[in-house]
Amino acid sequence: MTVLDKLRLNGRVAIVTGAGRGLGRAMAVALAEAGADIVATARTESQIEETAGLVRETGRRCLAVRCDVTDSESGKAMVDRAFGEFGRIDILVNNAGGATDGFGNSLEAITDEQWRVGIATNLTGAMYCSRAVIPHMLERGSGKIINVTSGFGLRAGRNNFIYTSAKAGLINFTRSLTMTYAPAIQANLIAPGLFPHGDPAIEEWWKHGMFVPMGRLGRDEELGPLCIFLASDLTSYMNGQVIVLDGGGLAGGELPTGFAPVVELPGA
Amino acid sequence: MTLEQFSLAGKVAVVIGAANPLGRAAAVSLAEAGADVGVATTTRSQREEVAANSCANEIWALDRKGFAQAIDAADERDVDSLVERAISELGRLDILANALDLHFAKPALDISLAEWRRVIDANLTGVFLACRAAGREMLRRESGRVVNLSSVLAERGMANGSAYCAAQAGVLNLTRALALEWARSGVTVNAVGAGWIDAGGFLADENMKRQLERYLPYKRLAEPEEISGAVVYLASDAAAYLTGQVVWIEGGALSHV
Repeated sequence: MTVLDKLRLNGRVAIVTGAGRGLGRAMAVALAEAGADIVATARTESQIEETAGLVRETGRRCLAVRCDVTDSESGKAMVDRAFGEFGRIDILVNNAGGATDGFGNSLEAITDEQWRVGIATNLTGAMYCSRAVIPHMLERGSGKIINVTSGFGLRAGRNNFIYTSAKAGLINFTRSLTMTYAPAIQANLIAPGLFPHGDPAIEEWWKHGMFVPMGRLGRDEELGPLCIFLASDLTSYMNGQVIVLDGGGLAGGELPTGFAPVVELPGA
Repeated sequence: MTLEQFSLAGKVAVVIGAANPLGRAAAVSLAEAGADVGVATTTRSQREEVAANSCANEIWALDRKGFAQAIDAADERDVDSLVERAISELGRLDILANALDLHFAKPALDISLAEWRRVIDANLTGVFLACRAAGREMLRRESGRVVNLSSVLAERGMANGSAYCAAQAGVLNLTRALALEWARSGVTVNAVGAGWIDAGGFLADENMKRQLERYLPYKRLAEPEEISGAVVYLASDAAAYLTGQVVWIEGGALSHV
């Protein structure tokens, strides 16, 4: 078996949360292209049906399940339905999340409810889904969990309290999964940089990535191969790690896109 | 089709450190993914030359082109001529993988300046020289992938490991700085942070090996082939937007308190 054969996911079943659009949709379709059957879940029925259509075009099966991951019962019911339909769950991609009401609020302006919803959306939902899926994975002795964090899980932002706290929490939650369930389960994270999901207004707001070292923004489909890599047997010894896909953004920080002036050694 | 982005068919790679199990596995995995691969030693020793030749044989057995060259990776003329040979014999240079890994442990007070310099040269300076040599060609063509293999000891300290830990940490930050410098030139620079493998050196000591195996969440060391898949991913079109990062494959070693 060559290194490329090990990327194939034929016969495996992947749940992707937040699969109705953007990165979640791109990852669901990529996993299907690699051979996995997909459970596409999100809150908006029409969007997951559209994703399911794209998955089925690759020749794989897809179950579209409406689910609000911030609701423990809804998450559990989704996992039960997935298991009932396919009889196994090999891969869980906890992708649901994003900016919630109060994003960018100053600390004094954050309401209790905004904090609760933001943490629930970006951290607790991943815990609920993991908690529901892991018994199925342990029963078969193998599983892959891929949690989607953010550059803001690793670095802070001014008046970015809710999102950074949740995404940083998700990283250490994942490391604890590693310490608890390795080697049977591999739990890793993806930290995407700036992905405008094809929205021209956001592309404009982010200045088309001129301040990203590579000089451009990310494209949703670029998450696909990374997701396959982390879901595959190529990463059976990778556990508890964050892979940052950001065109070099987090590699620097002091002079993000600038070059230091040439400085010769003294006496040269 | 997303999976096709991982193929390296038509690409040419150079791997330095073919006598190191990680370097050997990287070279073979790159060839399995379709690349032609020239491999090199890190020192001019008979042991390394034999290992590099055997690695080249594995590449030929996969029906890929390749060669083995004996070099001192800390000698700039040797490294430059290695890159020239890849371009002249294999036609181009797309991928550079560096697997420099000279183990050395001693109390800091007992380390001579000559020993310190040799450890820094063998683990870090050679990586810089190879990046510089390959970078000339990659920047000219505005396309290339550099993957530097490093160790969990780049991120965590170890008593008696000052020289090795400093050199390996140097590889990671060299990687980040070059990634930024070349980000707009079509060249990505990343590192693979390797977990503990059974490669002699520090682990020639059975007691240390047993302690580590107990400590690691996997309760075992890594096989080199469990790490080399990351080299293929980073070397491929699948990782076009990924630069300046360390991809760790270390069995949870760094998640530990």
